[in-house]
Amino acid sequence: MLFACSFHLDHAASLPYFLEKTTFRGRVFMTHATKAIYKLLLADYVKVSKVSVEDMLFDEKDINHSMDKIESGAQGFSLLGSCPSAVKQERQALCYAWHFKLINLSVTDPYKVIDFHQTVDVNGIKFWCYTAGHVLGAAMFMVDIAGVRVLYTGDYSREEDRHLRAAEMPQFSPDICIIESTYGVQLHQPRHLREKRFTDVIHSTLSQGGRVLIPAFALGRAQELLLILDEYWSNHPELHNIPIYYASPLAKRCMTVYQTYILSMNERIRNQFANSNPFKFKHISPLNSIEDFVDVGPSVVMASPSGLQSGLSRQLFDMWCSDKKNACVIPGYVVVGTLAKTIINEPKETSTFLKELMPPNIILVHGEATEMGRLKQKLITEFADGNTKIITPKNCQSVEMYFNSEKMAKTIGKMAERTPDVSETVNGILVKKGFTYQIMAPEDLHVFSQLSTGNITQRISIPFSGAFGVIKHRLEQIYESVESGTDEESGSPTLHVHELVTVKQESDRHISLQWSADPISDMVSDSVVALVLNISREVPKVIVEAEDLKSVEENRKKAEKVIYALLVSLFGDVKLGENGKLIVSVDGNVAELDKQSGDVESENEGLKERVRTAFRRIQSAAWLTLKKQQILCEISSGTRAQETRGTAAQLIKEEGAVNKSISTHEIDFQRYDFLIHYLLEFGMNMCASLDLQFSGNHV
Amino acid sequence: MGTSVQVTPLSGVYNENPLSYLVSIDGFNFLIDCGWNDHFDPSLLQPLSKVASKIDAVLISYGDMLHLGALPFAMKQFGLNAPVFSTEPVYRLGLLTMYDQSFSRKAVSEFDLFSLDDIDSAFQNFTRLTYSQNHHLSGKGEGIVIAPHVAGHLLGGTVWKITKDGEDVVYAVDFNHRKERHLNGTVLESFYRPAVLITDAYNALNSQPSRQQRDKQFLETILKTLEGGGNVLIPVDSAGRVLELLLILEHFWGQRFLNSPIFFLSYVSSSTIDYIKSFLEWMSDSIAKSFETSRDNAFLMKHVTLLIGKEDLDNASTGPKVVLASVASLEAGFSHDIFAEWAADVKNLVLFTERGQFGTLARMLQADPPPKAVKMTMSRRVPLVGDELIAYEEEQKRLKREEELKASLIKEEELKVSHGPENNLSDPMVIDSGNTHPPLDVVGSRGSGHRDVLIDGFVPPSTSVAPMFPFYENSLEWDEFGEVINPDDYVVQDEDMDQSTMHVGGDIDGKFDEGSASLILDTKPSKVVSNELTVQVKCSLIYMDYEGRSDGRSIKSILTHVAPLKLVLVHGSAEATEHLKQHFLNIKNVQVYAPQIEETIDVTSDLCAYKVQLSEKLMSNVLFKKLGDYEVAWVDAEVGKTENDMLSILPISSPAPPHKPVLVGDLKMADFKQFLASKGVQVEFAGGALRCGEYVTLRKVGNPSQKGGTSGTQQIIIEGPLCEDYYKIREYLYSQFYLL
Repeated sequence: MLFACSFHLDHAASLPYFLEKTTFRGRVFMTHATKAIYKLLLADYVKVSKVSVEDMLFDEKDINHSMDKIESGAQGFSLLGSCPSAVKQERQALCYAWHFKLINLSVTDPYKVIDFHQTVDVNGIKFWCYTAGHVLGAAMFMVDIAGVRVLYTGDYSREEDRHLRAAEMPQFSPDICIIESTYGVQLHQPRHLREKRFTDVIHSTLSQGGRVLIPAFALGRAQELLLILDEYWSNHPELHNIPIYYASPLAKRCMTVYQTYILSMNERIRNQFANSNPFKFKHISPLNSIEDFVDVGPSVVMASPSGLQSGLSRQLFDMWCSDKKNACVIPGYVVVGTLAKTIINEPKETSTFLKELMPPNIILVHGEATEMGRLKQKLITEFADGNTKIITPKNCQSVEMYFNSEKMAKTIGKMAERTPDVSETVNGILVKKGFTYQIMAPEDLHVFSQLSTGNITQRISIPFSGAFGVIKHRLEQIYESVESGTDEESGSPTLHVHELVTVKQESDRHISLQWSADPISDMVSDSVVALVLNISREVPKVIVEAEDLKSVEENRKKAEKVIYALLVSLFGDVKLGENGKLIVSVDGNVAELDKQSGDVESENEGLKERVRTAFRRIQSAAWLTLKKQQILCEISSGTRAQETRGTAAQLIKEEGAVNKSISTHEIDFQRYDFLIHYLLEFGMNMCASLDLQFSGNHV
Repeated sequence: MGTSVQVTPLSGVYNENPLSYLVSIDGFNFLIDCGWNDHFDPSLLQPLSKVASKIDAVLISYGDMLHLGALPFAMKQFGLNAPVFSTEPVYRLGLLTMYDQSFSRKAVSEFDLFSLDDIDSAFQNFTRLTYSQNHHLSGKGEGIVIAPHVAGHLLGGTVWKITKDGEDVVYAVDFNHRKERHLNGTVLESFYRPAVLITDAYNALNSQPSRQQRDKQFLETILKTLEGGGNVLIPVDSAGRVLELLLILEHFWGQRFLNSPIFFLSYVSSSTIDYIKSFLEWMSDSIAKSFETSRDNAFLMKHVTLLIGKEDLDNASTGPKVVLASVASLEAGFSHDIFAEWAADVKNLVLFTERGQFGTLARMLQADPPPKAVKMTMSRRVPLVGDELIAYEEEQKRLKREEELKASLIKEEELKVSHGPENNLSDPMVIDSGNTHPPLDVVGSRGSGHRDVLIDGFVPPSTSVAPMFPFYENSLEWDEFGEVINPDDYVVQDEDMDQSTMHVGGDIDGKFDEGSASLILDTKPSKVVSNELTVQVKCSLIYMDYEGRSDGRSIKSILTHVAPLKLVLVHGSAEATEHLKQHFLNIKNVQVYAPQIEETIDVTSDLCAYKVQLSEKLMSNVLFKKLGDYEVAWVDAEVGKTENDMLSILPISSPAPPHKPVLVGDLKMADFKQFLASKGVQVEFAGGALRCGEYVTLRKVGNPSQKGGTSGTQQIIIEGPLCEDYYKIREYLYSQFYLL
């Protein structure tokens, strides 16, 4: 996301370049007035800037295109990555002394212009802007990320003037305040005195028959001066025959913008607007070029550029400077002119603003290093209590701050019917949206979120022409609970295996299996399928499997090997110790693991806990895998059925216990032919999911 | 457990009366909307008068009569004295609407329910908010946040969201989901599961043709009349829907190079359009964009002439013309007069763009078949002449004399008191001596000084025998530094320039057009003359829906999507209310209420909830899965306590008990079909089921009326013989879900 605080070149000029020529694909936010003027201003800038085509960073086409981009909003993510708790603040100086402010966060939906105070929510990050005074449309942005508030002031003015509101004091104190260090304007004179001096000089020059030249930048403060002049003329009928001109096509073009966005201005203008639009000047007319200017007698001309370097203001200056009756009024508080002045003055405005705001963290930006240092010193003495951190980062240096906000969740719905006591358990789905957490029962998921749950019923038919009783008999050999019944509709016999899978005789030649999908039922049904197919093979031979011969000892060895391999994959450095213990070392911390008992000894509590959990999970997973292989062999051989029955039942129970660890990973189901493969892979998947969990936790 | 919420309708339930509802949230009373109808029937406000003094804040959603009409009257008569919240356009257009209504009434009757001053003072209580601005209430309403959101229908139209402790109460009436020429559609759909939604059933039985078709018909009807040499009268509101109509007409006229004149006639037409031009931020994206890129203000209209008096219309042109005149109900105002004139001509057309309010002339004319003739009262204000004038003047003189007498008596009393020597500094004669600074103040005080001298100076003090000028000793006080001065007299006035301009401009908040200004400022003695007449209705009468409200079908689908926990239905005919109520009774998870007037219903959420802290230890072990805007994970945790006695949840110490796996995800059959097709599986829909490959079929079962998020668990059945395809397709199906 990119916020443009005002239309001034030092805030928004690199926008077309940034949007068109870089990889930035985020969203851009600015106020209505800023956007309308930004376009005009930059188009004008491209036209007048005397840079050769090769050196030009962007042309008018890019500007128009960037307008569209702002409109339609490019999809995608800003490449700089996002980090919710640490707000990065980048400042870049492109070839010109421009900079822009960027707070980078990931984005997806299209862009919108925003109005003052309007709260926008992007992926749970809320932001809104306050009026900043200064120029039309200028805004201070407040960003709220999970309760941490950052205020970026941009250029602001705490003094209400003729048409703009003073910068607002935010309702909440921000946690971080990013503030400009250039703009510590000292109020040498109250506004009305300055205005009086301004009008007095003009009035006396004109009454002596002189001409007045006001070199000023076309936008921003110039409108304020025009308002003063227009009002002054209205109140002094004797001046009505003296023309006032503003000689800037750009200002003329922007006048409609000023006439329209009255709502962004102060009460005074809005009340005047009730009578007539104050920006429809009665005594001031635009002047297109010096050719149109008839220089007869006294007149007032406001012309750009403000620095008298070239252009119309320079031409007029050259024409008029020789006559001492004439006057050139340089409006001192036009922003550009004040930069030098403010260095001398005490940074009063900034510090009073900050004093009222009392932010715990202040980041100073935009200003010369010495000046910044001065301001920092001053702020340090003012916030002597020491709780305020003041940071002055250099260009491209990112500031990282960590805020520990407490994560609160709201448990709602069925789960919250009773508030649990300490040490009771809570099991449910944790739903996170933006930065809010809710815990709810699965049944309530569709009630409190837009997510829905699904239930997949599977029905599969298998050719089987043997007697149904055979299936029952075989099933009973494996599973503890096999209940017979009849289907209510067709009257055909059915079997319920552990209340999970229903086997039904559809016809003489087919049976069907029905179950609702979940890992356990899927496994049970797969075993039933295997069993049925085995019966169909007519000659159930007793195959002496190699596994059958494996001793318990071998199984244990195999398990140990698996455990060791998994531990290596998790922790890296695992050695077999002298006393048969495994020694796990992570980042210099060492933990000793007893393979038999699962006891872990370590000086580091965190590591100890992790190794213990990992071992517990690995052990159960590895054990299960081996057990399953064993059982499968027994199933396929059809022997030792009575003994195995109990084991299979236990297996189902165990499966439940490890279900938690497998549940977080998609299970790669395999066809029944590869049942063994599936089960092996099943085990591997568990490990993979463990792996995931732990690699995510390395702090 | 939750926040207590009560809703009491004060007007506008089971009928189309103006809207006015009392919503109290934890004891904080909001009055939402405060409407009145075009009859100004005080009996409608009876319920409001009983509760007016208890109200803590007023929220206004639209700037028309039905939503804020009674505000000035209630403020004046019922002691309603609470801050009012609205958007800027609602404030401004509401003010203009009230002015227009008031002028229209004053022109034809002794309208005395409220004056222009009452309107002004009522509107001074407004706090203006922007869309999506979270406004935190303070004091009694601490913890309550109100925010207006885009509603469509009228400029600045608002869906109010009131939030307390994470529970939302949403008030959305008359919204429009369709984007229009000058307005964006409502954002109501972006709310999900608010605790309470209060909405109207006004359009529940209504259906609309497509916009293009309607616009075409609209234009053709008008053109046909104009070609036939007739005039078109479109009765409109003062500052609401008329904007959309103006844009449509302006657009067509520009496109087809038509030159018949269009007039917009209301007492406030020109100021309305002036304001509208500065409300671009509140309009549709396309209008804002066209201004940003080319600085074309859509409301700089070339083809529309704004008029503020009927004489101007009569002078303007004689040929066929289109006139948009207020007020929409034909009960008063210019539209009333023009209708009476034009109704008898077959060539003319009266085009209604909104349903007339119940019981008004417009509603009668919209009946099918329309009445052949209607009775109308034509009233007009005429200056008094002859005997009446003399009688009036004498009455006035008498009143004046009485007043003077009273005033002089009071003055005398004051004079007697002011004769004391301690008061000689307040002597009116010396006012000029020390106080030449600042000039403005002098003007003010000198004025009063003169009056005192002229009137009071010649009133003989009761103690003197003959009339004489008053004389007060001008004693100056001295101390060691000289004359004692008042430093305030020498302070440079801060707002020098400002004050002078304020005086020049005048500070009436709200601009009057000259014609209307003359109407109020005109103090010429006058009276209202009315005569009943029967108007033959021969002109064509057509109604086209340009109300800009969502139609019945969209209302249902939007409400189903929003799926509030509790739904309160208001405003709308009994039939429509009942229809909508029945519709939602069938839907699970939504409780429907449709209260009667003054019936308080308790819609406090019965939702159970408690808060826990998520411990760092637990969170570092939780793996979230991203699903759209949401991230989900299964947690097994143990409850503990933090230092400050909050509940917190910690990782579980013993192995977690098994739980039934949950498949999370929303399977859309059409999307899944495409997905399978992209994987090279042959798929087709057959008999409500999805046939995948040769053998496998996939079916979704469940109640079809429960679409979208409100349905419970979706049931999917996959069937097939034992074959490789089956497992492949099952695998794809699993990939559409997350297993928790």
